[in-house]
Order: sequence, then C-alpha cells, then structure tokens
Amino acid sequence: MVDMAGTDNSEQKKNLQERIRNLEEEINPPEKGESPISQANMGWRMVVDLVAGVGLGFVIGYGLDILFGTKPLNMILFVLLGFGAGINLMLRTAKEMKKPETNKNEGNTPD
Amino acid sequence: MATETEAQKGLEIHPMDQFLVTPVLGDGPLMWYSFSNTAMWMAITLLGVIIFLVVGTRKKSYVPDRFQMVVELIYGFVRNMVQDVAGRDALPFFPYIMTAFMFVIFSNVLGLIPMSFTPTSHIAVTATLALTVFISVTVIGFVKHGLGFLGLFWISSAPLPLRPVLAVIEIMSYFVRPISHSIRLAGNMMAGHAMIKVFAAFAGVMGLGAFVPIIAISAVYGLELLVAFIQAYVFTILTCVYLKDALHPQH
Repeated sequence: MVDMAGTDNSEQKKNLQERIRNLEEEINPPEKGESPISQANMGWRMVVDLVAGVGLGFVIGYGLDILFGTKPLNMILFVLLGFGAGINLMLRTAKEMKKPETNKNEGNTPD
Repeated sequence: MATETEAQKGLEIHPMDQFLVTPVLGDGPLMWYSFSNTAMWMAITLLGVIIFLVVGTRKKSYVPDRFQMVVELIYGFVRNMVQDVAGRDALPFFPYIMTAFMFVIFSNVLGLIPMSFTPTSHIAVTATLALTVFISVTVIGFVKHGLGFLGLFWISSAPLPLRPVLAVIEIMSYFVRPISHSIRLAGNMMAGHAMIKVFAAFAGVMGLGAFVPIIAISAVYGLELLVAFIQAYVFTILTCVYLKDALHPQH
C-alpha cells in the first residue's frame, strides 16, 4: 500500500478524483429516477394536445359553418388547422424534452 | 343455488354514479345556490390545505420536526420548480402556483378516501382552474410586453408568405392549451375512479373468487395515489410553462 502511494502519485490522484466524482453522483444523483414517469407524462401531453387541437378546430369550424351556412368547408379547414396546432404543441413538448439534458449541468448549482 | 341468485342480481356496474353532483344540505333539485358535494369537498380540501400549512409551520423552529419538514419540502419543491421552469422573474407569481398545487394535490388525494368525492374529477372544476391560469397568463403577457406579446404568434424565423398561416396555427395552439390543461387532470382522475368502481362491481358478483378483483383494486389504488401526485405536479409544471411563455414571449 505504502509502495503504491509512493510510486504512482498521479495514478492515485486520478483514482481519488474518480472516487470524488462517484460520491458526488451518489449524493446528487442525476435526475434519472423520475425520468420514466415524466417521459410518460410528456407522451400523454402530446396525445391530449393533439386530440384537443382537433376537437377545438372541429368546434370552431362547425360553429362558423352554422353561422355562414357553408356546411363542410370551414369544418374541414379548421380541423386541419387544429391538427396543425396540435402538432405544433407536440413539437414544442418534444423540444422541451430535449432541453433539460443540455441545461442540467449548468443549472446544478445550489442556491 | 348461489350462482342462481347471482345471475338474478346480474352484473350491475355504475362506475359514473360516484361523480353525480348532489345537494348535501336539504334535498330537491340542484340549484345554483345549493351546497353540493362538490362544494363541500372543495371546502374540505381548502380546510385541509390551511390546516396542513398553518399547523405545519406554527412552531417555526430552526430544527424542523417531521410535520414542518414536509411542509418545507413541498414549499421548496414548488419554488424550485417555478424557478427552474419559468425563470427567476416568475417568482412573484409563486404564491398563486403554490396555491393551485396545494389545492389540486389535496383534492386529488382526499378524493381517494373511500366514499369521498373528487372535485378535480369534474371538468367544470379543472376548466375553471385552467381558465384562471389562461386568463391571468394572457393578462400578464399583455401587461409586461404590451402589443409585443402578440409576437408570440408571429414567427419571424419563417418565410414571410408562411407567417399568416403559422400565426393562425399558433393562435389555435394557444387556445388549445387551457383545454388540454383541464382535460388531462379531470380525465386522469375520473378514469382511475371509474376503473376502481368497475372492479368493485366484479368483486360483488364473483363470490369467493372476489379476491382477484380486490387485489386488482389495491393495485389500482396504489397507482391512483401515484397519479394523484403526478397530475398535480403536471398541472403545476404546465402552469409554469405557460407563465414562462408570457414572461418571455420570444421563442
């Protein structure tokens, strides 16, 4: 033991640093424990957003149709627009999913 | 013999009966002024939140006991969430978000007590919560940025001819958000409770085999407890996301 410490000083330093890093990870675990849940939530968010988008589009289109007497026209247009809105929200959620991974390292400072 | 009586009784499943809004004080038709079970359980929720927070922090000791610890933990959790998701300048709105979080989580969890009622399983309640968020966030956006808030809908990185179309889509997605915000919470709460009722009806007609649905009910109950917390969390974090959009409308 004493021999090793004497000869491989840099090696020991590296080992020590690795140990410190491991211990730090143990104290502040990278937030992986809740990730399956939050990812499932993100998935549900996308689904609900999509359906709500189409639903809202349908309602708006149907209302405008009744107002102007152009039966299927506005309905089709706004269902498509609502679908677009749903996809837009979905993409935004996907962007949010990607963001925390890059932010996590900087934002880890205790306050 | 046993099977006969069971067949006569039949399988009667009324999973949605538990969501009926009925007057608690006095009977007769439900009017706008009658004190319904929704109102009662919302009042109980409110009382629970107040007792929890006030009693929990009454001693204000430097070394917190267990109760105070839980309260401080929740406080710190929500505060960190607001700060991380919406940024530091969203902290003035922290009290509102904390209130919404406590209300949703308490009504979700109190609704899991057998024979109780879950206000958050009604779209009317969650839609009100979501609309409050929606309206206040919109007002905050306009107050902070004036007409510049409309830049949220005008994507300047897109080619000019596409922008009007994209603006329509952006406006629609802005209005989709409160809908999905409320449907998600109400749907999740309603689905789980209805599922438990269906399993309970199975247990009622299965005789000795009832232990299977009862085990299933316990499992679903555990899941529901998880869902109650997660949905409160999701509701709050989405509030923070919308607030962030109002405070920093540029993409």
